[in-house]
Amino acid sequence: MGLLSRAALTTAGAFAALILLFLLSLLTGRVWLPPAQLIHGLAAPKPNLAWLILSELRMPRAVLAGLVGAALGLSGAVLQGLLRNPLAEPGLLGVSGGAALGAVIALYFGLSAHFALALPLMGLIGALGACALTLSFGQGGTLTLILAGSAVSALSGALLALALNLAPSPYAAYEITTWLLGSLADRSWDHVMLAAPFILVGWVLLAMTSRALDALTLGEAQAESLGVNLNRVRLLALVGTALSVGAATSVAGSIGFIGLVAPHLVRPFVGYRPSKLLLPSAVLGAALLLFADIATRIIPTQSEMKLGVLTSLIGTPFFFWLVVRLRRTAP
Amino acid sequence: MIAAGRLLTIGAVLAAMATNVAASAQPRPAGAPAKPMRIMSMNICTDLLVLQLAPKSRIASVSYLAHDAANTVEPGLDKGVAANHGAAEDVLLESPDLILTGSFSPPATQRLARQVGARLVLVDQAENFEQIRAVTRQIGQAVGEPGRAEALIARMDAKLAQLKASAAPPIRVVAWDGGKTVPGKGTLTNAIIEAAGAVNIGATLPDATYGRYDLEELIRDRPAALLQGISSWGGPSLQDDSSANRVVRTLYRGRRITYPEMLYGCGLPQSADAAIVLRDALRRLPKQGWAY
Repeated sequence: MGLLSRAALTTAGAFAALILLFLLSLLTGRVWLPPAQLIHGLAAPKPNLAWLILSELRMPRAVLAGLVGAALGLSGAVLQGLLRNPLAEPGLLGVSGGAALGAVIALYFGLSAHFALALPLMGLIGALGACALTLSFGQGGTLTLILAGSAVSALSGALLALALNLAPSPYAAYEITTWLLGSLADRSWDHVMLAAPFILVGWVLLAMTSRALDALTLGEAQAESLGVNLNRVRLLALVGTALSVGAATSVAGSIGFIGLVAPHLVRPFVGYRPSKLLLPSAVLGAALLLFADIATRIIPTQSEMKLGVLTSLIGTPFFFWLVVRLRRTAP
Repeated sequence: MIAAGRLLTIGAVLAAMATNVAASAQPRPAGAPAKPMRIMSMNICTDLLVLQLAPKSRIASVSYLAHDAANTVEPGLDKGVAANHGAAEDVLLESPDLILTGSFSPPATQRLARQVGARLVLVDQAENFEQIRAVTRQIGQAVGEPGRAEALIARMDAKLAQLKASAAPPIRVVAWDGGKTVPGKGTLTNAIIEAAGAVNIGATLPDATYGRYDLEELIRDRPAALLQGISSWGGPSLQDDSSANRVVRTLYRGRRITYPEMLYGCGLPQSADAAIVLRDALRRLPKQGWAY
C-alpha cells in the first residue's frame, strides 16, 4: 500500500513538473513577451504579435516536446522491462537509426523541397522498416533481438555515413549533420499533426505490454508458464516503439538518453514493478525533454544549441553514475 | 596496357615540369611582365573573375564548382574551359604558370605551386564594393589584363551611381533563409542590400557579421520582404522546408525575394547588377501593410 501511494506521488510530482515546464516553455523564446502580454494577446483581436508567437511557434513546439519526450520515456521503460536490461533504450533496437536514415534519405534526395512533410514521412517509413528488419532477424529470444537490433543500428549508421560521404553539396552535408543533432526549433502544427497520431497509437501498443512485463521479471520460462505470449509482447513493444519513437525522431531528429534516463530516475520511487514504471517514465520523459528544450533557448550560444547535443551532455554523466551504482550494488 | 598508359602520363608530367623549369629559368625582360599563358583558378570566386578578365585561350582550367555560377553571371561564360577538382594531380598535369585561389588555400597548394614553378596569387573574399574593385584589379594585374579590369569596374561603378541617383523608399528587409543566422554588417549581402537602398535588419543586430535570428524575431520585426538565396550548384535543400513554416508561408506570401546565392557569395562586378535586380523586386512588393 505504501509502495502504491509512493508511485502515485511520484507520478503526480512528475505531472506537476511537466505542467510547470510546459508553461515555462511558452514563456521562453528569442523574443521576450511578459506573461501579461501573452494572456492579453489571447483575448485581443487576432492576429496579433503575442498570439502569433504563442499559437504558431511556442505552443506546437511545447506540445511536440511533450509528445516526443513521453514517447522516448515510455518506450525506454517498456524495452528495459522486456529485455530485462538496464541499458535498453529505443536506439538499441535500431528504430531511432532507421528513422534518422529515412529522414536523411529525404534530405539527400531533396524530397523535402517538393513537399515539406516528406522528411518526417520518410523518417516514419525508415523506423518501420528498421523495426521489420529487427523483428524478422531477432526471432527466438531476447539476446537475438538485441543482436538483430544492434545489427540494424550499425547498418543504418553505415548508410548515414555513406549519405554524408556522398552528399550532393556542402549544404546538404551540413543539413544532414545538423538535422541529426536533433532540434524542435521552428516546428509547426503541421509537424504535430503528422507525428501525434503515430505517437499515440505507439503509446497504446506499448501500454498493452505492462502486465506481461511484470511476469517477465520472473524470467522468460516462468512468464510463459504464466500464460504470457512472448512473441506477441515483443511484437507490441517493437511496433509500439517504431511508431512512437519513429514518429518522434522523424520530426525532432535523434534525441538520445531520455529513453534511458527517465525509467532509471523513477525506478527508485515506484519500486521495481515494470508496469508501475510506464506512466511516470513517460511523464518524466516529457518533462525532461521540455526542460532540455527550454535550456537550448536560454543558454546564450552564438549558433543554436541543438537539443540532441544537450540531452547527450546531460545524459552521459548519468550513465557514469549508473555504472558506479551498478558496481556498488553488484555482489 | 594500363601500365603503359600510366607510364605515358608520368612521362607527360615530367616533360611538362621540365618545360616549366626551363621556362622559369629564362630571364624576363625588365619592365615587361609576361602574360601568363596557362592560368589555373581553384576557387569559385576567382574562377568567375578570371573567366571575365582573361581570354579563354589562356585559361588552363577553372574549378568544377564554377559551371553553374558562371552561367548565372553570363550564359556560356565558361564554355570550352576545362574544369579542375582542386586536386594535386590536376596541378601536376596542367602545369600552370599562374594559380589563382582564395586566401584560405591549404599549404599543400602553395607547395604544389612551387613544385610546378607557377606563380601563386591568393585572392581575398570581397565583402563590399571597395573590396570588389580591389580583387578585380588584383586579378586583372595577375593575368596581365589591367585594362579589362578597369572596364569592368567602371561598368559596375556606373550602375552603382545610377542606383544612388534614384532614391529608394527605405524598406526593411532581412536575408533569412530559414536558418538560425542572418548576414549583417561587413557581409556582401549587406553591401548589396544597402546599394539597393533597403535597410538590412541583420545589420542592426548586436552580434558580429552573422547574427542569430529566428522565427520569433521575424514575426516581431515584420520586415517588408524576406531575401532567400537559391543555391545554384547544390541540390535542393532543407531551406525550403524550414521557410515553409505555416507562419512564414502565410505572412510572407508574395514577400519572399529569391536570388542566386552565388551572386551574394562572391564579390563580383556583377554584384551591382544584383543590387539593381533587388531594387526592382523591392518596388514590386505588395503595398498593403501588416495585419498585426
